[in-house]
Amino acid sequence: MSEIKTYDVIVLGAGPAGLAAGYAAKQAGADVLIVEREDRAGGILKQCIHDGFGIIRFKQKLTGPEYAERYIKMVNELSIPMLMSTFVLGIQKNNELFELQLVNKKNGVFALRARALVLANGCRERTSKQVFIHGSRPAGIYTAGTAQYFVNIMGMLPCKECVILGSGDIGLIMARRLTLEGSKVLGVYEAKSTPSGLARNIVQCLEDYNIPLYLSHTITRIIGSGRVEAVEISKVDESMKPISGTEQVVKCDGVILSVGLVPENEIAESLDIKLDPNTKGPLVDQNFMTTMEGVFSCGNALHVNDLVDYVSESGELAGLQASRYARNSHNRNLIEIKSNNRDFLYVVPQYIDTSSDNKSAVIYYRSRDVKQNVKVIIRCGYNIVYQNKHSVIRPPEMEKAELDLSNISINQDCKLEIIMTEG
Amino acid sequence: MSKQLKKIEAELRKNISNSIECREWRNSIVLEGKVESWDTVTAAGKKAANRGYKGVVNKLTVKGLEIPQINSPSFTDTTLQGKKVDVLVIGGGIIGCSIARELSKWDISVLLVEKEEDLAMHASSRNDGMIHPGIEPKPGSKKAYFNIKGNEMYTKIAQELDVPMRRSGSLVVYDSYWVKFIYPYLKIRGNKNGIKDFRLLSRAEAKAREQWISDSVSGGILFNTTAVLSPYKLTIAYAENAMMNGAEISLNTIVLGMKKHKNDITSVLTNRGEIFPRIVINAAGVYSDKIAEMAEDNFFTIHPRKGQVLLLDKKKGSMLTSVIGKLSITNVKGTTKGGGIVRTIEDNILVGPDSYEQPYREDYSTSRENIENLMKKHFEILPILKPSDVITYFAGIRAATYEEDFIIEASEYVPNLIHAAGIQSPGLASAPAIAEEIERLTCKVLSQYKQINKKQSWNPIRKGIPELHKMTPEERNKYIKQRPDYGVIVCRCEEISKGEIIDAIKSPIPCVTIDGIKRRVRAGLGRCQGGFCLPNVVKLIQNEAGIKAIEITKKGNASNLLTGETKTDSIAKEVKK
Ligand SMILES: Cc1cc2nc3c(=O)[nH]c(=O)nc-3n(C[C@H](O)[C@H](O)[C@H](O)COP(=O)(O)OP(=O)(O)OC[C@H]3O[C@@H](n4cnc5c(N)ncnc54)[C@H](O)[C@@H]3O)c2cc1C
Ligand SMILES: Cc1cc2nc3c(=O)[nH]c(=O)nc-3n(C[C@H](O)[C@H](O)[C@H](O)COP(=O)(O)OP(=O)(O)OC[C@H]3O[C@@H](n4cnc5c(N)ncnc54)[C@H](O)[C@@H]3O)c2cc1C
Repeated sequence: MSEIKTYDVIVLGAGPAGLAAGYAAKQAGADVLIVEREDRAGGILKQCIHDGFGIIRFKQKLTGPEYAERYIKMVNELSIPMLMSTFVLGIQKNNELFELQLVNKKNGVFALRARALVLANGCRERTSKQVFIHGSRPAGIYTAGTAQYFVNIMGMLPCKECVILGSGDIGLIMARRLTLEGSKVLGVYEAKSTPSGLARNIVQCLEDYNIPLYLSHTITRIIGSGRVEAVEISKVDESMKPISGTEQVVKCDGVILSVGLVPENEIAESLDIKLDPNTKGPLVDQNFMTTMEGVFSCGNALHVNDLVDYVSESGELAGLQASRYARNSHNRNLIEIKSNNRDFLYVVPQYIDTSSDNKSAVIYYRSRDVKQNVKVIIRCGYNIVYQNKHSVIRPPEMEKAELDLSNISINQDCKLEIIMTEG
Repeated sequence: MSKQLKKIEAELRKNISNSIECREWRNSIVLEGKVESWDTVTAAGKKAANRGYKGVVNKLTVKGLEIPQINSPSFTDTTLQGKKVDVLVIGGGIIGCSIARELSKWDISVLLVEKEEDLAMHASSRNDGMIHPGIEPKPGSKKAYFNIKGNEMYTKIAQELDVPMRRSGSLVVYDSYWVKFIYPYLKIRGNKNGIKDFRLLSRAEAKAREQWISDSVSGGILFNTTAVLSPYKLTIAYAENAMMNGAEISLNTIVLGMKKHKNDITSVLTNRGEIFPRIVINAAGVYSDKIAEMAEDNFFTIHPRKGQVLLLDKKKGSMLTSVIGKLSITNVKGTTKGGGIVRTIEDNILVGPDSYEQPYREDYSTSRENIENLMKKHFEILPILKPSDVITYFAGIRAATYEEDFIIEASEYVPNLIHAAGIQSPGLASAPAIAEEIERLTCKVLSQYKQINKKQSWNPIRKGIPELHKMTPEERNKYIKQRPDYGVIVCRCEEISKGEIIDAIKSPIPCVTIDGIKRRVRAGLGRCQGGFCLPNVVKLIQNEAGIKAIEITKKGNASNLLTGETKTDSIAKEVKK
């Protein structure tokens, strides 16, 4: 067997997060490899042919593939090697080095080593079973991303007349896409009393096409033997339990689900990296290093982003920090950032490493509920480091706070704390 | 009217419904009339069972209840018109397929017909995959005999057919101290049934074996012979081995009727033509009573008993070594099965089944209430299990007769008919033994018509599709070198390669449905439930089997995945070029 090659940084995933991470790590001087299990780079963007990507980053409205193309070009210009159609079978840490076992067509099962790892695996869609939909099992039930692949990549329609369950962004975008392609979308049903998707998507994808949105409604039963023939819809109460007596049968031949995304962290879990139950991504410090030294996380694997621009941003930070770590690791001193589940869906990062030279931190947060006139404050003891007034704050829209930590002394007795108050 | 019959009728009228009428037919008891509910129908059947008659023929109907027709293939043709065979096996579940395989040892012609697009689409793919130790069936019952014998035979069968199996053992736990005193009773029963390897475990021993079980457990009984395997892989393996040895299999073929001369069946009518068999074997699962009826030998009635089952993520699989059941007073009696927690051969966790009567034979819908109850009941025993671990759930239907025992016999009235009917749980565990018994009965009947000999060339060994993710790196490399497609992962959750999926598409019984591929190689059975790999599997079927995407189905019969092409020129159209 030939010698096992060692890289400074191996990035897993060539979506926007992984591409940005690879690019940043290489720019910082690291010897980098990007590994992707699909045959093309670009991640989920490959199938997002609508525009709206890159408004912050490139000050332009690009389509998903165009946005991905820009990063692929940047990566190619730095001659960063990419191993495509290559699947990670397992990872072990041996004496400060990560040993990866991979498989592909050309090399069979083979090994590589890295000083640092960036996990940029993206996310997957929650399925009908994970939201406990019942009834029979006909064909015609797809997650929005799968439907998107059929339509945009294969040029095939998954249904003629469908309902959409859940008001996540992909579902909204698919409502418009299917309508444009000649399918009829009878309505979008959302169990919560507020939509999950971005406000702009509600307007541009539903209202502009006269597609009704039914809040506080869900599918309680699927009917059909071969294909879907109908669904039973019910109203739900505040705790999202169906109200009996409100059932109504809607005839359709398809159900598209947009009921949430789950970060993919099977690799992180296999390394015993601790996950945040709120984000379902790893717990990280301001450098996006996970609870395992040398393993970084970014993009949708870290937490589900609503804008690709933030994904690239997180990739760049993780890539840069991974490259620094590979050269020169230090002993971390992690102090948790205090937050509460009552006001926040989640806060990322969850820790500050006070011994890192990186004294700037970006804190991403999402409100748990739609609220008006609130103030978000980040403080360290009595010292207020950040405050922002929101005339309205909504769960679908991620907010971010940029902090300069150089003059703040954070320690076990004085932790950073993020709070939400009225006013 | 005999005295006994009168007595039963009076009882049924008094306690169940006064519109019930009873009569005797051959040696069975027939119930007739119109009643208020399905529960009344089954209650009456159960009351009339095991009262000295051969069987209960329950013809009670429910006012206003419409029971749908059997699901049938949507076409007819003449492929089988005029076909003559020695043995016709009806039903492509584990029972029919294992019978076909055992019969393929003989130099006779065997044809198996199955109404669905694939094998194992009913009970044989909708169960727990557990090879029971044989404690539940009553001593002296057919269930007990075939279960114990089948369990023993599995070591050899699984090896011959290349179907992975694990003798994981099962632990029946109890939380109440006094249950311990039932052990001597169970021991007698176990010994009577002939179970070889079981013993009482103390609380500490139980905990040592299964560290995650609830603290409320105060002990358990360990059955070492319990095993797990994939029931649909096994069914397909049996069928493939039968085919290798000359048996024929015709899918999408439904038996619709029979013609008789005197008592003999002369021909069997199907949607693909009239078949002329010497012997007919009834292995039609929940429809086995309907097949018997076609031959005018319906001395029993199936009452479909449904069960729902949860499937949990592999991540929790490693927290369990055996099958865990819970002993309660009801299942000590041995009629109802409490269900359990099973670490499957693929390391997922199965929870269930539950068990309830309902009138529909093919309605596999699931319901919130049942699924929630399963979680409530079983997660208590293994508190690390959480609703968020659930990746899917499904239902199965048991072909229960009112006598609650298997029917494995040559018909008393139709000389060329043999029944393997009413095969409810533990039907999978018993299958190898049932198949051998049916083989014996068939040879006995057939030898009255012609002389039969063993085939010299019979080969009991069948090779399955390689499972690359279970191999050592060296072994895996060998396969990839030979076929690079084994190195391309398509299903990321279950780590299934393109090569394995192509093997399934091109397997001896070709498979071009999404569900069929799932059953053969597990692509799409993992935590994303095919979200990512489904379009790729569609493309593979398109390329390898030459079927247009629009014609590809989930499970045959009008379950097409796609409805048309897009109209605009999206990148898709470019990609297509
Ligand atoms: C349908 C949809 C519509 C969207 N619309 C917009 C929009 O209009 N505007 C906007 O700004 N944002 C939008 N977004 C958000 C944004 O595009 C995504 O958040 C972003 O693509 C996520 O990037 P990522 O790199 O984290 O994940 P992904 O794009 O999912 O990339 C992850 C990559 O990693 C690979 N991978 C995973 N695991 C492994 C492994 N073990 N080994 C090797 N490779 C691996 C995957 O194959 C994949 O290629 C949308 C997102 C979706 C899903
Ligand atoms: C929820 C559940 C859990 C179970 N768990 C276990 C377990 O752990 N262990 C165990 O040992 N047993 C278990 N069982 C029982 C086991 O699944 C069955 O005993 C076994 O699968 C029966 O096999 P079969 O071939 O008789 O029936 P089936 O698999 O139902 O096959 C009968 C076939 O006949 C076909 N057919 C019917 N009518 C016609 C017709 N007119 N023409 C052509 N074809 C026809 C059907 O399409 C069907 O494919 C369980 C059952 C259920 C429901």
